[in-house]
Amino acid sequence: MTSRPSSEEPLLTVEHLHVAYGRSEVVRDVSFTVPRGSTLALIGESGSGKSTIARAVLRLLDRRGAHVRGSITLRGRAIHDLPEPALRPLRGRVLGFVPQDPGSSLNPVRTIGSQALEAAALVPEASTRAAREDLVRDALERVGLSDPGRIAAAYPHQLSGGQLQRVLIALAIIPRPALLVADEPTSALDVTVQKQILDLLASLQAELGIGLLLITHDLALAAERSQQVVVLSGGSIQEAGPTAQVFERPHSDYTRRLQADVPGLHPDRFAALRAGRGDTAGGSPGDAAAGSPARLEADRITRTFRTAGGDVPALREVSFAVRRGTTHALVGESGSGKTTAARALMGLEPLDSGRLRVDGRAIDPGDRRSLRSLRRDLQLVHQNPFTSLDPRFRVGRIVREPLDLYGVGSAAERRERVRWALDAVRLGEDLLGRRPTALSGGQRQRVAIARALVLRPEVLVLDEPTSALDVSVQAGILEVLATLQRDLGLTYLFISHDLGVVRQIADTLTVLRRGEVVEEGEAARVLAAPQHEYTQRLLSSVPALGGRRDEDILEATA
Amino acid sequence: MSAAVLTTGEPTAAAEAPSASPRRRLPLTVVLALLVLALVLAFSLVPGLLTRSDPAAGIPAAKFTAPGTQYLLGTDHLGRDLLSRIVHGSASSMTSALVAVAIGVIVGGAIGLVAGYAGGWADAVLGRLVDVLLAIPSFLLAVVVVTALGYDTRNAAIATGVSAVAVFARLMRAEVLRVRTSVFIEAARLNGGSGGYVLVRHVLPNAVRPVLSLAVLQFGLAILTIAGLAFLGYGDPPPASDWGLLVADGREHLLHAPWLVLAPGLTIAIVVLSVSRLSRFIDTERNR
Amino acid sequence: MSTTSPGAGALGLAVTRSPLTAARSRYAGFALRRLAQAVLVILLAYVLVFLVLAAIPGDPVSAQLDNPEAGYTEAEKARIRSFYGLDKPVLVQLALALGRALHGDLGISLSTSASVSSTIGEALPSTLALASSALVLAVLIALALGFASQRLPEGRPNALVRTLPTVFLSTPNFLIGLVLIQVLAVQLGLFSIIEPESAGATLFAALTLAIPVSAQIAQVLITALDTTASLDHTEVALSRGLTPLRVFARHLLRPSLLPTVTVCGLVVGELLGGSLITETIFGRAGLGTVVQKAVSSQDVPVLQAAVVLSAAVFVLVNLVIDLVLPALDPRLRPIQEAS
Repeated sequence: MTSRPSSEEPLLTVEHLHVAYGRSEVVRDVSFTVPRGSTLALIGESGSGKSTIARAVLRLLDRRGAHVRGSITLRGRAIHDLPEPALRPLRGRVLGFVPQDPGSSLNPVRTIGSQALEAAALVPEASTRAAREDLVRDALERVGLSDPGRIAAAYPHQLSGGQLQRVLIALAIIPRPALLVADEPTSALDVTVQKQILDLLASLQAELGIGLLLITHDLALAAERSQQVVVLSGGSIQEAGPTAQVFERPHSDYTRRLQADVPGLHPDRFAALRAGRGDTAGGSPGDAAAGSPARLEADRITRTFRTAGGDVPALREVSFAVRRGTTHALVGESGSGKTTAARALMGLEPLDSGRLRVDGRAIDPGDRRSLRSLRRDLQLVHQNPFTSLDPRFRVGRIVREPLDLYGVGSAAERRERVRWALDAVRLGEDLLGRRPTALSGGQRQRVAIARALVLRPEVLVLDEPTSALDVSVQAGILEVLATLQRDLGLTYLFISHDLGVVRQIADTLTVLRRGEVVEEGEAARVLAAPQHEYTQRLLSSVPALGGRRDEDILEATA
Repeated sequence: MSAAVLTTGEPTAAAEAPSASPRRRLPLTVVLALLVLALVLAFSLVPGLLTRSDPAAGIPAAKFTAPGTQYLLGTDHLGRDLLSRIVHGSASSMTSALVAVAIGVIVGGAIGLVAGYAGGWADAVLGRLVDVLLAIPSFLLAVVVVTALGYDTRNAAIATGVSAVAVFARLMRAEVLRVRTSVFIEAARLNGGSGGYVLVRHVLPNAVRPVLSLAVLQFGLAILTIAGLAFLGYGDPPPASDWGLLVADGREHLLHAPWLVLAPGLTIAIVVLSVSRLSRFIDTERNR
Repeated sequence: MSTTSPGAGALGLAVTRSPLTAARSRYAGFALRRLAQAVLVILLAYVLVFLVLAAIPGDPVSAQLDNPEAGYTEAEKARIRSFYGLDKPVLVQLALALGRALHGDLGISLSTSASVSSTIGEALPSTLALASSALVLAVLIALALGFASQRLPEGRPNALVRTLPTVFLSTPNFLIGLVLIQVLAVQLGLFSIIEPESAGATLFAALTLAIPVSAQIAQVLITALDTTASLDHTEVALSRGLTPLRVFARHLLRPSLLPTVTVCGLVVGELLGGSLITETIFGRAGLGTVVQKAVSSQDVPVLQAAVVLSAAVFVLVNLVIDLVLPALDPRLRPIQEAS
């Protein structure tokens, strides 16, 4: 326990931290320091131990049966061995917490106001109810919620994710903490909202002099928002230092590899692979001239959902076309209609008006027979590989199932095809006998792609195929997809919200917002010089991709 | 392009793949539960194995002998060996519980399956039927049915089964609905699976596990219900030795021969407890 | 709901009225629909019990009438026969009985010639006292187990708390009742079995009935508490500096009440069914005893009325719970616009 605080003293010092559950150690010998008023980012993929470290600092691990060793010093005071009652006054008032998923981080059965007043009641200066209400109103206004009365009266389920995250930040800053621990504070939010929340955190930090321990999986975000970074893998530190230094001259292999996998930093990663497609039949421009202009075509498709709250237009006269052997991206945030378009293409969703055509054949959700034959050539890869595979089937049977159902070939031929498909997604045959629960997320998504490939379709509809996965796993999947396109001449419709990924893999794109096309064209051109204000905003929200120039445009237009 | 390039990308593969390792050992309590059930099964199949004395013939001179070396669990008012009576009563208690569960699983499962998979009118009509069956307190429903059918152990089993139909129907329906809306079901449809194929190959296997767990639990509850019916005298009349009946018989002698109530009562409790432990084990293993 | 209101008025800004009235009328529609459903279920329960009892081999009414010990005169027999429509098909008998039941006439007991309503009316208060005190006891036991399951650190005592419900549920309630009588009444003299309706005897009878029922409530409560504890908001509340007790009460228990209150409605069936055995053991003159007598004398009208009455109690209690749940959980309330 060190002596009196001085201005030079760091806000938070973690030394030789170890965390173990039973015999498995999830954090190994981690040390770092957060200076006053500055931001330190803990970077890592899932399983790296970054969230465990955050919870160790907040002393939330005790009740989870974790064994914690090492020292944690907050403003010169050792807190790792403080008994619970002595620690409690520090919670909130010195040490604030902004959690990952705003949707589950507020008590669902109580109003925002009652939870905010509860937080305000812990501020010693706020002795009267009026004083607490003032604190709450100030905090809600400060985080940009312009109508504090309505927000306070609302229940969590009545607010959007962005509003909830603002509320959580407001609750955290009510007691004026010296340090905020933010655990992936934006990963559950849309990109444009992400930027707003990060800007808010930055401005609060500047105004109130708060130190920030930012937990993130997003390298680009860390690069943009922190002064110091700590890169973690498998529970230990791979690299640490000033942000600029770590990103410009990474000295560990892990950091270099991780950086190479971030789509936003390497727009040309698959350029060589994609250039190799040139001589496949589908990609040649001569083909288009020969009368089959598009493999996929959407012609003014419209779809409206009727809900209790009124009509919600999911698609309004959306048109796009995909050339043979190319990748077309549908880009947009949640509610943009991109997934509805993909489902309509698969015949899973009826349209109110408009036509969808594959190789000139119209898609009619009512005609089962033609849908069945169509789907042999048109396969869907779902977003979440944790739900798209039957947990009771083994890998071999999952991949073989389409062959069985379409009655393709003999038993030996089917076995051969399954082997080919697994090889195409670069999975070993040793996985044939495993169930999905015994596979990692990346392996599962490869199995799902193998299942989609096994019928040798012409077109794959990819519904955010990598959004549930870590960046390094994502890079592997994208590489598989690019290789398959080169070798098999596949046509992709790629649904995504991630402009970094889209720039790496798409030839053409359509940007959707609330069911309407806002911009379309060649991917490289649109992303280099976006014309529409919304596309510009999307781009500028992507850390390290938009750069300062786009931000200026945004300020001019906002 | 070699596969080696990609392996670096998945450092977490090993950590995320717990069940690839060989099977874990069973928890001690589950082993104990299985032993109890194996013992009761042995009682039911070959009652003569463990006890040679005739459950119906008593030695009047030895009446009300307290548990001891000669009679492990003591004797009753006619000098009959209580252990022998419990052992010989297990076959009837076990089979009747089994019959009850079979009725519940088959009838309730079918109702739930149709309601959940067909939806619409079938669901609405079957849903009301299940509501009604749930509304009548299950023990009273069993009493009403056994009154209508006549008092014996077989009818008590049928009555218990009827009173369990609703819970199976409700669970099966919920499970079918849950599984039916899963993404992997949509994937199977997209791959050309017909309605029947998807139902049999994907929906049922995924819905059946929780139903199995409930079936085991209900087996225990059926033992209790049937014992309750026997206790009230709605099962086979004496000299049968159903466990519930043994407790009812012993009740008159509670003051001076408490073992007559405790031994059969605790037998029921231990068997049902074992069954419940097994049910919970099946339920937790489902998520692995 | 005083616990939920502070936020609303606190900041001096009331919610505008118009969406609220729309929500009210939507709630009224929901309530009416549920009420109609409940009435339908009670009617169907009557029909079902009637049809099952009609399957009794032979004709229990005639058997009872022709029983010389009952001492009916020929004229009385004829009157009762025509009252129940015994010479007509089953469905006509059903229509007759249902029609009278809807007018509040439940018929005449075959074994005592008293009216069924008065027979049941005399027995009902005893059973209601037993069942309601058992429910209170069961909820208290379940709350204690739920609290212990969250507050005790992982280890043997916690594991024991989590095993108790299974043990309670596995023990036949006649065994519990007989042991309580043997130990507490006979050996310790805590209450007298000679006066079954005394407060002491009622308490222990209620405890007998409460133990298996508390297990069901506790199982649901503990699962709900565990689920809530795994959500982020309890962790966030703790990180805000609230005391563990307050976190338990407002952030753990409060959101877990919904499934718990629901199961409290469902166990009403167990309470009514279980009263049959408990009343027999403790010698109480309640609904359970009436049912038992009716079964042994094949007194169909009494049995029919008692069972349908139990079903009606069950349905109505659950109806009330359904209607009250939106007050406990705002997510169940009709959507308010403009949010």
